[in-house]
Parts: sequence; structure tokens; C-alpha cells
Amino acid sequence: MSNTMTTPIGKLYGPSLPAPDARRYSSVPRRILNRAWTSWEFRIGVAFLMGVLALTVLYPAFSDIDPGKAAVSMRFKPPIPFEGSNWAHPLGTDQLGRDTLVRSLIGLRYSLMIGIGTVVLMFIVGCALGLVAGFRGGRLGSIIMRLADAQLSIPMIILAITVLGVSRPTIPAIVLVLALSGWPLYARVARSAALAESKREAVRGARILGASDWRIMLLMVAPAVLPPIAFVSVLDIARMMIFEATLGFLGLGVQPPTPSFGNIIADGRKYLINAWWIATMPGAFLLISLTSINLIGSALERARNAVLKGN
Amino acid sequence: MTNTPLLEVRGLCVEGRSQSKYGAASAEALILKDINLRVETNQVLGIIGESGAGKTVLARALAGWLPPSLQIQAGKVLYKGADMAAGAIDPLAALRGSEIGYIGADPTRALDPTLPIGAQIAEKLRAVRPGMGSAEAREKVLSLLASVRIPAPAKRYNEYPFQFSGGMMQRVMIADALISEPSLLIADNITQPLDVTVAAQILRLLRELVDSFGTSVVFVSASLPVCSQVANNLVVLQAGRVIEQGKPQKIATDPVEPYTRELLLKIPEIWTTGASEIARSTPAVNLGDPILKVQNVSKLYRVRDRTAFNRVHDVQAVRNITFSVSRGESIGIVGESGCGKSTLTRLLTLLERPDTGTIEFDGQDLGSLTASELRALRPQFQLLLQDPYNALPSGRTIGEIISEPLAIHKIARGNDVRERVLSVMNEVGLPASQIDALPVSMSAGQRQRINIARALVLQPKLMVLDETLSSLDQVEQSKLIALFERLHQQHGLTYIYISHDLAMVRRVCTRVAVMYLGEIVELSPNEMLFRNPGHPYSKALLSAIPTLETHPFDVGQCLLDGEPPSPIDLPVGCSFANRCPSAQDRCKRSAPEAFPRGDQAFSRCFLNESKREMAQ
Repeated sequence: MSNTMTTPIGKLYGPSLPAPDARRYSSVPRRILNRAWTSWEFRIGVAFLMGVLALTVLYPAFSDIDPGKAAVSMRFKPPIPFEGSNWAHPLGTDQLGRDTLVRSLIGLRYSLMIGIGTVVLMFIVGCALGLVAGFRGGRLGSIIMRLADAQLSIPMIILAITVLGVSRPTIPAIVLVLALSGWPLYARVARSAALAESKREAVRGARILGASDWRIMLLMVAPAVLPPIAFVSVLDIARMMIFEATLGFLGLGVQPPTPSFGNIIADGRKYLINAWWIATMPGAFLLISLTSINLIGSALERARNAVLKGN
Repeated sequence: MTNTPLLEVRGLCVEGRSQSKYGAASAEALILKDINLRVETNQVLGIIGESGAGKTVLARALAGWLPPSLQIQAGKVLYKGADMAAGAIDPLAALRGSEIGYIGADPTRALDPTLPIGAQIAEKLRAVRPGMGSAEAREKVLSLLASVRIPAPAKRYNEYPFQFSGGMMQRVMIADALISEPSLLIADNITQPLDVTVAAQILRLLRELVDSFGTSVVFVSASLPVCSQVANNLVVLQAGRVIEQGKPQKIATDPVEPYTRELLLKIPEIWTTGASEIARSTPAVNLGDPILKVQNVSKLYRVRDRTAFNRVHDVQAVRNITFSVSRGESIGIVGESGCGKSTLTRLLTLLERPDTGTIEFDGQDLGSLTASELRALRPQFQLLLQDPYNALPSGRTIGEIISEPLAIHKIARGNDVRERVLSVMNEVGLPASQIDALPVSMSAGQRQRINIARALVLQPKLMVLDETLSSLDQVEQSKLIALFERLHQQHGLTYIYISHDLAMVRRVCTRVAVMYLGEIVELSPNEMLFRNPGHPYSKALLSAIPTLETHPFDVGQCLLDGEPPSPIDLPVGCSFANRCPSAQDRCKRSAPEAFPRGDQAFSRCFLNESKREMAQ
């Protein structure tokens, strides 16, 4: 062998210069979080979101008001600063004398569950299929995309009426129906981003290093493709909650007496002139939680840019 | 003081104002400071300077065409004695196009992509010469297209910009600028995006046009050798100031300013340097011990014919490549754009498999390996990509990038990883303190070092460098060449340099292969190729290198006309025959085989066969 004369690479200089301590090293996601924490937006967003979540979990559990209990004598009580209100029902009561605050919080609980659950499911299924379709392409990619096209051609409402009308409209069934009609959008966006990403020089570079397709797809393409989609998907949580409300309107949403935004708003609509708070209060909670999610999202994105692009 | 010159610039100062977001004008900077120039009738004035010296701003100021963010603060630009800036010439628009022509650096974006080129030139002609009929305009455009040597002008008149190559497009732009017979032509860096032989053709054409049309030219370029080939007078621009003026010969041989001397030092020398300085201090390469053997490799791409419904074209990207690389050697593969270099790179690194032929690495036929066997072998041959900005994955620290190959091949884990990364960083000259930093705001050279370190951490035996150095400036290039040299000496690495830059190849390679239209037309040791090339195409390439040295190969004799034929329908016989100055009848009938020249070299040209016969 002619290589016997040569030194292995990197062994020539012996121990190299002192380097930063490996224990103090923080990973890139960690740096992004630290950076985001310095902004007020992020802190306010986290504080409000935590507050609303804690309220939905704790208040109904610790208050002794039964959300389903009707009391005709207490009908249409307005919220606190208005005349006729009382501290037993800080946000007033509805047409059956049920407490708006408790019902809103429990409704928010179910609505958030449906919204977040649907988006997570759509995101996972849609992006996974889209990534494979974009990165691998070929026949498999075509099959996936034709499936997506087929799905897109069925209107969501018709699908919901068929599925939920035949089976019972339970929460998992609602999540499934919404996710089923929503995943093609995610698959398409993920596919086109993955297609562009997989043509980059860096991917060629990784191939040459000997990385397998799975490794490139999961460790290189996915981290580049998914974050932008994730930021947008936060907005989809609200959209899904509104779809659930739409289903509730049709009587295919969460079934009374379980409160959800869909059925609370559907009921409150009739009294909008005289008792505006019935439909408005759940909306206020929705507004607060979505605004704080958006604040967190945009702060994270800005921190990510700052860390990765150095500005 | 004799007659008024065609164009005179007196004390010109141009200032740039960047509007801040809130409307207040901020940051005013002088981009040009006190420029004085004269352009005489029928002369070529060369303006050289590095990027950022203010060349383009000056060129546009001369055309009276400064963008709104720039403003003439003091001084005058006099065209035939009248001040362009002061509104003495009115309207200015009538002057541009009809008397002053302007050609920019990027010909591919200068014309409307939706109209045939002929119609666009004719439209311009009729705009500046009102009353000219369309038939007459067409006649004039056709004759001018012919005089800038566009073959078959009547056919190309109706073709769209995308159907033209870069070199042909630049000819179209010259025709477009000359159509109104301007007295002054401003050529802003027009040869920069072109291959050397095409650039040399354009320069020769420009010189001829100056003589036959009597046009004066302001020729702006970053390269002193290019400029000195065409210019009668030369101006050196540095940071917005003219620091030296004079005849090109004088500036090239006896510069006054230290800056000009520095510029001169950066120009690569090819023939002046003695062989001993270039010949590498390598342990003698044993040519009998090949690390890579490429035999009869061909690759064909099928491209759908867009003009027909159901037809495909076969593009023969690489044909019959045979060569071998010895352990410890540095071999160069050169050629112009479209010659199949990139395809060959992909084949050599087995990113794609060849259609026919075999590639053997270290005695193993790579074509017979399964995907996982090939992956296991990959650490031994590494490719360094051209663009250090895109080649690195984003969002990882330098340590993570360099350690990735170790994780892929499960070579090391735990503390060992960090140690190996640090020692490799040390090896390529990256400071250890950078290990946890992101490669943000690092220079191209530093990024390329990360790229190199990432390949080195696998301890490869063979490195393929695909234009790795061409995006770097001269200084950074020299540093990395020194690094490669050291790695070669200490670790016995073998290199394949794939490049269009002959000057760089001259500095680092032991042998050089010249590619033309998918074939290796000549393979020779460095010294032999540059002193005594065995193929007319090699001669043409060499003659086109812009240097200040006395050229052993005269441009007039060696330079080619036209462009390579399309790889879709290759000509019968020698693929170079239609452009070859010494083509014979038989060249058009049969393709020459690889005739050996000595035991290390070959050339695919019949000229070598006759030499051999004569010797016998």
C-alpha cells in the first residue's frame, strides 16, 4: 500500500486549540427559544395562553356551578358591570339561566380540543404524505397526489353530513371528518416545498456524504419544509373551530347538553339583540387564545430568523 | 487644445443617496470622485477596476442614464461639447440609442422574452429613425446580424431570446446597440458571463466593428488582460477615483501606482513561470497504481421534444470517456459550459450511474455495487461542490455540519465526535472557538473550509472538486490551493479538479483532460498541454485565456468561429471538424480514435496520427 507513508487526517496536529466547553453548548432550537423569550410579544402570548388554559381546566372544576343546570328565574342576566348582574354569574346567564362563564370555558375546552386535534392530525398526515410525494416523486408521488385531488373534489359539508349523519357525531368522529377533508392542502404545500428543497445543492452534498434517503428526508428536507407550514397551521386552528361551529349549526357538531362554541353560538344567535353576551363571550375567549397563539408563533419565527440568519 | 473630443468628463462627482424607511434622505456617499476622461473619435477607452470601484455607475453616467438614487453632484459630462447633465441636450432620450449605445453585462435579460429578436431591433431602429419603412429596417437589421457573425441571420431574425446561447445573445445585443450607428458605444462588462473562447470572439468582433463603423467605445471590465486586448487607452478606477491613465502596454509593464501593481500581481501567469515553480513537490506519482479507472463511460439523457407531441431527443451528455487517475495525482478536467463536465462529475461520484462503461474505484467496479454497499464506500471518494452558500445545510452549527458524516456512517460517538471535528477544523484552518457557531455571516472562503472539513472528517482517498474554487477571489483561492497542496503531501490525497479556469488548473494539476462536446479530446501532462497541445481545440482554449504574457498561441490563428454543435444531433466524424481550422476531408467522414502521444497522453485528432507515422 502506498498509503503507509501518510498520516491519517486530523491526527497530525495532535490536540487542537482549546475549544468552548461542550457542556455549555446549547442546541439551535434552544437558542431560538432563548431568543424568543427576550421579546415581549412572546411573553405576553405565553402568559395569556397559559391563563386561558388554566382557566378552562381549573374554573369549571373548582366552581360549584353546574353548566347544564337550568334556572328559569335567572334567565338573561347580563355580565358584571351592567344593571341586574350579580357575582354568582360574572358573565351573565343564557336563555335557560345557565352560567355563561362556565359554559364558555367548557365550550372552549371542546372547541380547542377539536381545533388543535384536527390541525395536528392534518399536519402529520398531510405533511408526511406531501414530503414523500415531493422528495421521492415518481409513481408513489403521483398516487399520493391523485388521492389528494380525489379528496379535494368532495365538499367538506357533504362528507360531514354523510359520515356524521350515519355514525354518531362524537368528538373523535368530528376530528376525523375535518382532518380528512383538510389534509390535501397540507400535502400539496409540503410537496411543493419538499420538491424545491430536494433540488438544493445541500441535498446533493448529503448524498455524496453517503446519507440515506430517509436521513435526508427526515433530517434535512423536513426541518426546512415544516416550520413555515406549522406557523400557518396555527391560523387553521381557528378555521377548524369555526367549521365545528358550522357543523354544530347543522346539528352535526358536538351534541347538547355538552357545550361547544358551535352550539352556544347557534343558540345565542336568536337573542343577539337582547342578550348579546350569550354569543359574544365565547368569542372573546376564542379571540384571546388565538391572538396569544399567533403572538407566540410570530415571535418564534422572528427569533428563528434572527438566530439562523444572524440579524 | 485641439478640437473637441467626442466625449469629455470634467471633474465628475456622483453621489448616492439611500432613502431611509422614514423618508428622510440619509447616508449620502460619493461614489465617483473627480473623474476626468476623454474619449476621442474612433478610439476604445478601457476602464478597469475591481468590483465596487464604481465602474457601472461611471458607465451609466456616461450614457446620461443614472438611476434616480444617484445624482451628479459636481462636474460635467460633455458629449460633443454639450453638457448632458445640465439639460443642454434636449431631449436626452433622443441621444441615447441613436448616438450613444449601451450594452450591459447580462445579455439574457436585456431583451423582451416574448418577441423575436429581429422585431425588437427593428422596432428600436424605427423609433430612433422616424420615417423608415419596416422592409428597409428589416434589411438593415439582417445585414447587421450578419456582420456581427450570427449564422443564418434570416432564420434567427424570427427566433426568440431563449433560443440563443449566451455568446450569441451578446452578439445580438451588440447588433442592437450598433443598429442606429451610434458614435459612442458603452460596453459594460460584456464578456464577464461568457466562456473564454466566446469572450475572445466577442472582443475580436468588437475591435473589427470599431474599425469598420468608426464607432468609439468605452469598454468597462474587471479584467486588465481583457481590457488591454481591445483598448487604445486605459483608465484604472479605484474606489471611485481614477488613479492611473495611459496606454495599455505602459500600464501592463510599468505601472506607477502601487494599486495597479497589486492588480497586475493578481493576474495569473501561465507561460512565464518556469515549470519548476509549478511542478509540485510531490512524492513521485506512480502512474501504474490507479485509484480510479474510468472506461468507455457514456451517459444519454432523454429530453422530450417540445415542438412535437410524442418525440424524445437523445442528448449525449458524455461519450466514451476513458481515463485513469493514479494515487496521489491531481488531474484536471477542463472545458467550456455545456461540454459535459457536470454530467461527468455526477457520474464520477456515482450520483448517477453511467449507461455504458465501468467506473472502478480502488479495484472495485462501482456499477456492480448495491445501494448500501455504495454508501459504505462513499467516505473514500468525496465531492466538493461549487457554491459554499447552498452546499451547507441551513440551521446547523459548524460542529453539527462537520459531525454529520460521522453520524451517517456511525464512525464515532460521544466525546470522540467532538474531538474529531475539532482536529479536522484545526486541519483546514477554522478556529476551534467557532465549533458552536452558525455559519452565518461567514465569508465564502470560510464556508468552503467547512465544506472541506466535512469531507475530510471521513478520511477520503479521492476528492473531486467541482469548480470548488471558482466562486472565490484570487487571494482566497491561493490560500485554499495551498491547503489542498498540504493535505496532499501529508495525507496522500488524490484530486480531480473540474474547472473552466485554465490558469488555476495550470497551477495545481499534474495532468489535464480537455473536454469538448462530451468527449475527452486531449489528455496531457500539464507542461505538455500548455506548451505543445495535441488538439486544435486545446489550442483554441489556450489562445483565448486573457493574460498579459506574450501568447504562444496567436488568437488570430487558433480562435474558433461559431459554437459547438448541439449534443442532440452530433455530426458524423470528428465532432470538432466544423470549427477546426485544420480540418481535412476525412475528419468529416470518420471520428478519430485516441492517438497516444508518449505514454501518458493522448489526443483525438488525426494530426497526431500523421505525426506518429512520420516518426516511424
